[in-house]
Amino acid sequence: MWKRIEQWNREVEAEQLAVLKDPTMVAQLPAGCRRFFARKLAGMSPAERESLYQFSSTVSTSAALLALVKLCVVLSVLGLLINLAFLPDRLWWHTVIAANAIGLAMAMSLMGVWFNYGKIVRAKGKALVTIVGLGLVGGLFGGLTAMFETGGDWSFLLDKLPRIVVTVTIVVTALVAIPTIVVAVLRNRHYQILAEQLRRDAEQERLARELSETQLRLLRAQIEPHFLFNTLGAVQQLAEQGAPRAAELTSHLIDFLRASMSDMRSEQVALTTEFGLVDSYLRVMQIRMGERLRYRIDLPDALAATQVPSMLVLTLAENAIKHGIEPSMHGGEIVVTAHDDGGTLRIGVRDSGVGMSDTPGAGTGLDNVRHRLRLAYGEGACLLLSEAEPGLLAEISIPCKEPQ
Amino acid sequence: MSVTVLVAEDEPLMRERLLDMLASAWPEARVVAAPENGVDAWDAWLEHEPQVVFLDIRMPGMSGLEVAERIGRRSHVVFVTAYDQYAVDAFDTGAVDYLLKPVQPGRLDKALARLREKLDARPDDVSEVVQQVKAASPQPKREKLKWLKASVGKQIRLIDVEEVLFFQADTKYTRVVLADSEALVRIPLKDLVGGLDAGLFWQIHRGTLVNVNAIRAAERVDAERMQVLLRGSDEVLPVSRSFTYLFRE
Repeated sequence: MWKRIEQWNREVEAEQLAVLKDPTMVAQLPAGCRRFFARKLAGMSPAERESLYQFSSTVSTSAALLALVKLCVVLSVLGLLINLAFLPDRLWWHTVIAANAIGLAMAMSLMGVWFNYGKIVRAKGKALVTIVGLGLVGGLFGGLTAMFETGGDWSFLLDKLPRIVVTVTIVVTALVAIPTIVVAVLRNRHYQILAEQLRRDAEQERLARELSETQLRLLRAQIEPHFLFNTLGAVQQLAEQGAPRAAELTSHLIDFLRASMSDMRSEQVALTTEFGLVDSYLRVMQIRMGERLRYRIDLPDALAATQVPSMLVLTLAENAIKHGIEPSMHGGEIVVTAHDDGGTLRIGVRDSGVGMSDTPGAGTGLDNVRHRLRLAYGEGACLLLSEAEPGLLAEISIPCKEPQ
Repeated sequence: MSVTVLVAEDEPLMRERLLDMLASAWPEARVVAAPENGVDAWDAWLEHEPQVVFLDIRMPGMSGLEVAERIGRRSHVVFVTAYDQYAVDAFDTGAVDYLLKPVQPGRLDKALARLREKLDARPDDVSEVVQQVKAASPQPKREKLKWLKASVGKQIRLIDVEEVLFFQADTKYTRVVLADSEALVRIPLKDLVGGLDAGLFWQIHRGTLVNVNAIRAAERVDAERMQVLLRGSDEVLPVSRSFTYLFRE
């Protein structure tokens, strides 16, 4: 029998702790009385739940029972003393029972209020009325009991009614309602300060994140003066020769500038947009470098709408030109690909240039890419570099996301 | 009287542009070569020894700065760069001629006017400014060659570069001569130059690099010509006119 009670108690305790930790657990409980109480727990504010969880997980049932016994002993002694000092004409066990009843009621209400202050504060007036009302019911019940015990009649009750009402109201208000509400208000103020602090911290963190993301994007969006001047020089030369390619190069340059400026404003872009930007960049470079540069871009249709952080692939393509193809005596090829590798999106930029040894200052662009991947995906994404024989492969791996 | 000019620029359109502009702004200029990388630029310089060189700073193989160092005070050097604030500041303080890409006609005219003025004088020494710019901006780290692979019959021989007495150009190949043997490697000499330590292997001729430690003596043949005698080999290596300064006391 005892074992079964113990078992039941342990189950309920675990269940309640689970609900305090995660309120959505309520839905998994079987309907009934346990679920009813669990729902009450789930309805509390996160901070209230947290403090109750702390309390419940450190104080076991047996410890709580022991504390209850101690409280009863103290209350009994108190009742006896009151009996001896103020009410010598009453039976001693009457005062002891009364002291225990009042004391336990106060303890219960204070405990309730300690952990569930939010509700009391939200319904301050209602709480007061309820407490006093319950007190009155108790008083009337006491009065009726007294009436039947003394064999008195209704007139006795009617005679005493005003006194009962006034006494009960004063006693209950003073002993229960006021302490309850004071504790609730104090606890609630503490909670609000805490909640405000938490909210401000979260806001600050969000702002810092956004700021660094913007800074990184702006840093990235600065169009390299080398690129711009050399391209303009090429345009000028073609125009002077009257070559139709002058207009072609200009339009690729315009595409590139427009795309990089609008990408600069958005954090995430569709993969097809990003690959379009890379394409216009590589077209410009191909006209400038002539036979020294060949390139290929391959984007499966299924991935076209996948969102990725803006300008990451472009940074890798620029790196491939600057540190792979440009320093190479005979130029080379750049291949840009994307594929879905079982839930991981892999974007590769491979160049057949000079490889890893010959790349001074290659770090900044790649650091920027790594930083932005971390901001967007945490540890879920990465950038890996490997020798490609000949050249270099830079590969971004990010968890696949459904197009939004 | 025509002036011999070399233009080194890696992007074809920019190269054409500079050539077109030179043709109209400086009719006396005779462009002897327009190479597209640093290695070919140095080789073309050795072949033609032009009076004036226009060197793009960023080039594959060897940078314009490296080529300028090798040329020394034997040609008037004009650097060409698209955007390199530090280099431009250094050139300004060192009174080194430079052009900004894309080159604009007015600016080119000014540079040409200055060039014409000092054409007959000995070219300025740009090495100090070049050193300064190289030290301040990241330079491609080119690893020096340590070993050479050469096929000898059916075997591939590994040759420790430091044991080589001299390298000699042999059309598309390079003859590698050691104390006890010799081999042929399938790399043109001009492509080897950048990978060898310039302090250990002296270029004494367009087609010859000699290990300093293998030089026994240099002797005068006539007023213009010199030749180098070696330790460990009976071969005699001619020194071309532009490199005789290496052996002047």
